[in-house]
Parts: sequence; structure tokens; C-alpha cells
Amino acid sequence: MSDPTDPLVQFSNALVARAAAANNAVAAIRLGHGRHVTGMVWRSGVVVASEQALPRREEFELVAPGGSVVTAKIAGRDSSTNIAVLNSAESIAAPTIVAGEAQTGSVTLAVGADGMGGASARLGLVNLVGPEWHSSRGGVIERRIVLDIRLAGREEGGPVFDTAGAYLGMSTFGPRGQVIVIPSATIERIVPLLAKDGRIARGWLGVALQAVAVPDALRESADQSSGLMVMSVVENGPAAQAGIVAGDIILSVDGTPAHRFRKIARHFGSDSIGRKADIRLIRGGAVMTVQTTIAERQAA
Amino acid sequence: MSEVATSMEPRERLRVAVHGEDALRRAALGRMVAEGGHVVVGPSDIADVVLTDGEVRPGETRPVVLLGGADDSLSAVLPRDANPSQIDAAIRAVAVGLVVRLSATGETGFSAMRETEGHALLTPRELEVLAALAEGMTNKAIARRLDISLHTVKFHVESLFRKLGARTRTEAVAKASERRRRETIML
Repeated sequence: MSDPTDPLVQFSNALVARAAAANNAVAAIRLGHGRHVTGMVWRSGVVVASEQALPRREEFELVAPGGSVVTAKIAGRDSSTNIAVLNSAESIAAPTIVAGEAQTGSVTLAVGADGMGGASARLGLVNLVGPEWHSSRGGVIERRIVLDIRLAGREEGGPVFDTAGAYLGMSTFGPRGQVIVIPSATIERIVPLLAKDGRIARGWLGVALQAVAVPDALRESADQSSGLMVMSVVENGPAAQAGIVAGDIILSVDGTPAHRFRKIARHFGSDSIGRKADIRLIRGGAVMTVQTTIAERQAA
Repeated sequence: MSEVATSMEPRERLRVAVHGEDALRRAALGRMVAEGGHVVVGPSDIADVVLTDGEVRPGETRPVVLLGGADDSLSAVLPRDANPSQIDAAIRAVAVGLVVRLSATGETGFSAMRETEGHALLTPRELEVLAALAEGMTNKAIARRLDISLHTVKFHVESLFRKLGARTRTEAVAKASERRRRETIML
């Protein structure tokens, strides 16, 4: 009855083919009691998943494409970019992945694992694409990508493809159940580091900071209208050793204004550890500069 | 485990299927539900509501109260450590077709760092006035503590209200503490 030249039929058939092709890209990560979340087969035996969806456990059972059950160990997890990497005991053949860029309005297919070796599919649009953003955990995400797709909890962590079959990134839940994508660029940057070191190293000063307005009287000498006030100092941390105390207002780090944490975040990447940093601050109504050595942040 | 209360409750008694990650947790949830005046039934029995701290049956059509997790397709999503009255209220609400979420939206899910706009940032002086407000001090007492005029205190309090979008002192203190909780950066 179906007319093969009907564009809707063609569209549907194309989606069926895409979903079938995506089947070998997803593995179910068992959480116990019949629940699972989705992981994406990134490289042979390497599975990428949503960090927030995985309980704090070292080992999981995976249902590989086709239905075989294998065990996998956590190789690393990074809550700041919401990426976890698992290594499976037995190799799982990896699909060919071609990364793509999300565009607002483009049709996407979000694929999940059905828990029995198969795939589940969701169709929707890229609702919006925005610039790089910072997560509440301090990670940098290359693009803001929001989908107009609803996702079941078991599908979180699966790959999102465009109509050309290019990989846009990993699906995950944003605030209020919104479905967002961790872009392929972020996955490509973070996964090798997690696979190698098990964590993402970050610089650390040992302070709690809150953005404040610089008092009017000091705006001229500070040459900026806001900074980051030190609320508390970790004992024996780098900041404490440099004599930084609660109440100091940090104005800049190595010349980059600390209007916002976002602005100075990139000064505290993994390459910052061990580096000396000049911190310009307001203390007791005067502007001064102290030098400190950035240490490595310990896992939370 | 099935339990039927002998006395009639003025409130409706619901049949609640309880799932738990482990037996101990399941038993605790079951007790909580029974104390709320409901009937605890098995996972596959006929039930008005499903209460779970993990497992949700694929294709579950009954209203689900999920403890912990970020699956927004479910009727009620509460934190794992939700208290008994929250759980009971959620069970009753989803049974009559309502959707339940925590009021602090954005608590679940991977979200962006929140940073207050420049014009709404507080000054160090305003933070001091706020700390005094939090202690319940009067304007007069604040003026004495900070060694400033009453007029200046009033000026700071008005500025705090404007920047925090608050109408009362209590509201200002609550909004500021919420902002501090969300926006404090550990570096």
C-alpha cells in the first residue's frame, strides 16, 4: 500500500535505517533492579556515558549491541563536563563516528539503549545552539545545544545524530528535565584525558569566592566595577600561604580581570598546576598584588 | 507485604506499589507509606501510584513518584532524601493527576553556572548590612554596629531590596542566602 516515492515514507524509511545503523553505537549500562542508562560505544571497548546518571560505583554490567552482557570498569569521570568513561572487559566493536556541528532547526535523532542489545530512537529538532558555556561545576562546554526532544531516563547518555548521520554529541538532562547535548567537541577533548588519567586535573587556590561590586570609592584605583570576594580560605592552601584572607576582593589573575569566575576560569586548567600567578586584590581599602603558586585541586 | 488499616481514615487510602534499590530501603519506604494511611502492594499488583527510588518499569503507565534522578517524564520527581510529608503529599497529588516537582527548579540536571548581573552585585558594605539583617537587628542597631548614620543604613537596606528583588527584610535575607549557595565558587 505504501508508495515508495512518497516523501514521508522515504523520510520514515531513512530514519529506520539510521536507527538501525546506530544500534551498534549504544550499550545499556545496568544500574540494578531492571534499570539502566545509555552509554555510547566510543572506541573498541570504550564506552562514554553521562556522569550524573551513574551511581558512584567502580564496576557496571553492560549490555553490548546484540545483547551480550560484559562487565566494565569506570576509567574516569568528570562532573564538571558530565562525562564518564568506562572500559569493558571484552572488546565491543566500535562504530565509525563522524563528528558534526549542531544547527538550530536541524532534525536530529537521539538514540538510547533498550537494555536488551537494541536501540530506541527519538526524533526532534535542535531547539537552539549557543556559544561556549560554563557548568555549575566549573567545566567548559564548547557549545550550548538544546533539543526539543523528551527523553526517558534510560536513554540519557546516548548519541545524538543529525540527518547526515554525523555525531552531534551526548544527550543528557539539563535543568528542569530539558534535554541538552554535550557537544562532540567536548567529548573529544575530555574522553582521552579521562581514559588516560581517570580525572581532569584543575588548578586550585583554596578559596571560596563570591562576586561583589567594588565600592564606589575604590572603583578608580581598582579600574573595574566588580571582583570576587574571598569568603573563606582553606588552611595551608596556596591562597593561605600567599597571605590571602577572607574579605579580600580579587580583581585580576595574571592581568585577566576577575569580573566573573567565567573570565578567569581558563587560568586554572590542568596546565596551570605549579605555575606562579599574580593576584591583584583589594585589602583594607588599598589595591595590592600578591603572588601564589597554583596547586592541584583534589577530587571532591 | 500487604497491610490493611483497620480504622477508616477520613482521607483517601491509596494502593501504593513500592520499589526499592535494596530490601531495607524498600521496607522503610513501605512503612512510611503505611503510616501515611495507604496500602502497600507488590510491584506488579494493581496500584494507584508507584513509589520508587530507582527502578521504573519500561512502559509504566501508572503515576510514578521517583526519589532521586532527573527523569522529567515521571509524575513526581523528589530528591532521594525527601521527607515523609513530601512523599505523602506527592503520592496523593499524583493520584489525582497532578505533577510534583521541587520548587527550587534547576536543582536536578546538568546546568550552567549562575552569575548575578553586574548591576545586582552587592558591595562589601551591603553584605555587612545583610549579615546584620539576618541577625534580626534594627536599623538603629545596625547603624551603631557599623558606625554609620541611620540615614545611610536605610540607604543600604533600600539598595539591598532593589538588587535582590525583595520586599521585606526576611525575603532579602532568604534571597541573598540562596544566591550565595548557588553562586559561591570553590577555587
